[in-house]
Amino acid sequence: MSTFTRRALLSKLALAAAPTFAAVPREETHTLIHVFLRGGCDTLNLWVPYADDQYYRLRPSLAIKASEAIRLTDRYALHPMMKPMESMFKEGRLGAVQSVGVDNTTGSHFECQDMMEHGDTMDGTPAGGGWLGRYLRLRAVDKQSPLSAVAIGTTLPESLRGAPAVSVIERLDDIAIKTPSGDSEAVVKALKAMYGADVTLLGGRGVETLDLFKRVSALQGKDYQSENGAVYPKDSFGSGMREIARLLKARLGLQVACIDLGGWDTHFFQGNAIGQQAECIKTLAEGIAALDADLKGHRGRYTVMITTEFGRRVYENASLGTDHGRGFTFMALGDRVKGGQVLGSWPIKADDDVNVNTPGPGGLHLETDYRHVFAEVLRGSLGLSKAESVKLFPGVVPKAVGLL
Amino acid sequence: MQTTRRSLLKATTLSFSAAALAGCDRVITQVNREFFGEGLPSKLILPTSVEIDPEFHLLSRAAFGSWPGDVQRVKKMGREKWIEEQLNPGSISDTACDLRAEQFESLYFSAGDAYEFRKPVLREEITRHAMLRAIYSRRQLFEVMVEFWTDHLNIDLEKGDCIYLKPSDDRDVIRKHALGNFHDLIRASATSPAMLVYLDGKANKVRRKTDDKPNENYARELMELHTMGASGGYTQDDVREAARCLSGWTFDRNRFFAMNQSESFFKPDWHDDGEKRVLGQVIPAKGGESDLDRLVDIVCSHTSTANFLALKLCRRFVSEIPPENLVKRVAAEFTRTHGDIKCVLRLLLNSEEFIASRGQLLKRPLKFMVSAMRALAADTQAEKSVLEPLQRMGHGFFQYPTPDGYTDDELPWMGTLMWRWNFGMALAAGKQPGVRVNVYELGKALGNGKAANHVAYFSHLVGRCPTEAEITALGDGDEKQTVGLILAGPAFQRC
Repeated sequence: MSTFTRRALLSKLALAAAPTFAAVPREETHTLIHVFLRGGCDTLNLWVPYADDQYYRLRPSLAIKASEAIRLTDRYALHPMMKPMESMFKEGRLGAVQSVGVDNTTGSHFECQDMMEHGDTMDGTPAGGGWLGRYLRLRAVDKQSPLSAVAIGTTLPESLRGAPAVSVIERLDDIAIKTPSGDSEAVVKALKAMYGADVTLLGGRGVETLDLFKRVSALQGKDYQSENGAVYPKDSFGSGMREIARLLKARLGLQVACIDLGGWDTHFFQGNAIGQQAECIKTLAEGIAALDADLKGHRGRYTVMITTEFGRRVYENASLGTDHGRGFTFMALGDRVKGGQVLGSWPIKADDDVNVNTPGPGGLHLETDYRHVFAEVLRGSLGLSKAESVKLFPGVVPKAVGLL
Repeated sequence: MQTTRRSLLKATTLSFSAAALAGCDRVITQVNREFFGEGLPSKLILPTSVEIDPEFHLLSRAAFGSWPGDVQRVKKMGREKWIEEQLNPGSISDTACDLRAEQFESLYFSAGDAYEFRKPVLREEITRHAMLRAIYSRRQLFEVMVEFWTDHLNIDLEKGDCIYLKPSDDRDVIRKHALGNFHDLIRASATSPAMLVYLDGKANKVRRKTDDKPNENYARELMELHTMGASGGYTQDDVREAARCLSGWTFDRNRFFAMNQSESFFKPDWHDDGEKRVLGQVIPAKGGESDLDRLVDIVCSHTSTANFLALKLCRRFVSEIPPENLVKRVAAEFTRTHGDIKCVLRLLLNSEEFIASRGQLLKRPLKFMVSAMRALAADTQAEKSVLEPLQRMGHGFFQYPTPDGYTDDELPWMGTLMWRWNFGMALAAGKQPGVRVNVYELGKALGNGKAANHVAYFSHLVGRCPTEAEITALGDGDEKQTVGLILAGPAFQRC
């Protein structure tokens, strides 16, 4: 909250002035890559609890056979299409938390996504804006670049609503000083002359912005060569991951990148090791693996979080699919992640059917409030103090999950 | 703002004909240009000084920048008279703006009835309305104050049900009292359904059963943000006592058979009817719903409130660190008039400090965009494509997440200059989707029949003559590029 005393104001200005000229974007910023699996991902078939008989009993045709799955621990195995991500788990960079979720009982995609993106719960204290938007707004003064937050796609995700600067782009080429006359050299020269002659903070920020633009434009207009043999899939998720990697490499002050992957609402013919969901998993795993390989030289600079609005029922339905459930497996990747483990209790607790005692659809019991996980991801990646955490998720005392 | 039945009907008729006639927007534009003076004057007189023209300055602060011809009009009638006229918005005919901005149906509904609309429709209509009013209203000072109070009594559309409730808050709280009395404004805001939801007042009830709890959120923000300021001298006890006064005011759209179903209401059995003591003043027991009036009166009349509001107004209208002497005088006027907003603004805008502060403020993105469109006599219906750049610059309407509202600090706004440059250059080149401008015609008016030069464009847009260096920096592109660069340059970011 702003206090309007003269002294506070002056000290604020003085503080703020310092990092302004220190070329903020060039700093070693860490990037949080937020992947949202839209539609309610059946994570039980991604992180297969192959040691659990109940899983096989309730899913006679949809379960991933233990012989087909990629064995990780004595409890869990990965879906065969997750193969590209196996090594990340073995290196201890990919981790998961079982039975995470939002307490919304409606089973509505819209409501659960909305709550999760705003950082709300059914009985909690709602706060305005998206949770990432609020976070960036908390830090609006000291760390800011026009490219602090980028959403890949065509619409602003709710999680970034309220952010001080957010760009919705499909490609890196969308970030440009657009010169309708086509004479971009003359325009940049003129801007440089005008802002360079301005001795105030504004002039300094203008020059920095031009510098940033110069670095972006150096990347544009030519075919991007990925490194370390990374091959991005030709789908839109793959190209989105490629654009994120390019932004990250260029050190443009990117703090949050949001990207969606849809197609997880598998009520009909979900498939098992092959089929509808397997194709989605392939897209996800290949896209993530390409980014991770491409950014091998930048390993300390990013954390990927993968979430969805809810998991699905444990049992399969009559049309060989699964219906909306509750808890899901949250995933995170990065050097700061305490990977190589799936957190959460065992055996997995679930309701076989719609529970008459607790409202809402059955599925995995919510063991961990998603907000504790999100807060921990922020703490471990971009940094989040206790005081900030309270502002971010009002009424929540942050609890360590152990993932970061 | 009168939204009479007649004007509603008129607007409805117009929007129906819009559906029937393709290109009705163009018809409105034509009508506005022909009959309501929305066009370009044939000749514009330019400032000749190296200092920002005082009338241009007034229009940059007490308005969202000047429309071509405005500066001459203010000079002709005299600045004091112009300020008086603006302080009485009812006396100014705003037909041209109404033709554009009265088409949004959802803005006429009560809080409870707005639930009939889908969220995207509500978001689009209230946002477009705000943008169109800022660009086209002749009641510019009124619109500037609407923006000020919208920040001061911030409500984020995305929290809870606020999106359904903000339209009536905008109409019945902000716009109704924007130039009225501060006490009335706060009283209206306290029981606005949107505010009851946004700051959880609707859940504030007396502690009787174990699960009943008072909710102090609104009581705290009422003192910290809306009236006295964080260092205003109230205590935690005052917050708790204020929450007791407020208990029982709630909003519930699911009450059937209630006459005032779609409004907020007072629930006596939720109210704590004991004696309270707020800021040293006793509110006797059994006050019922009148406790609220007493509370509003006590906090609004407090010296800290006058000081807090004076500083905030001076920061918005004068400079980021305003002269202390001015803040003191504005606060004294606030106290003397019991929060008469017109009197306070009159003193502020006529002060020497105000005139002396020329060029000291940074335009926030909204003012940057609107002043650019006004200066070029732009024609727009404020569709999504026009609101998108504002979002990129971090200043989307009704989207600030926390109750303190968009800031008047300058630094946080300097991170999005690239999007300002792109908007300015696209606008001048006629490439900004959803906006039509005619730089050629503007040039003719500025050049007195001949083509205008760099100096003329610069003087028109910035309100003063450019320096040699500024002319050189602009280079020798065509007129569209020149205008675009001036809009993108540092001088135009200030006001």
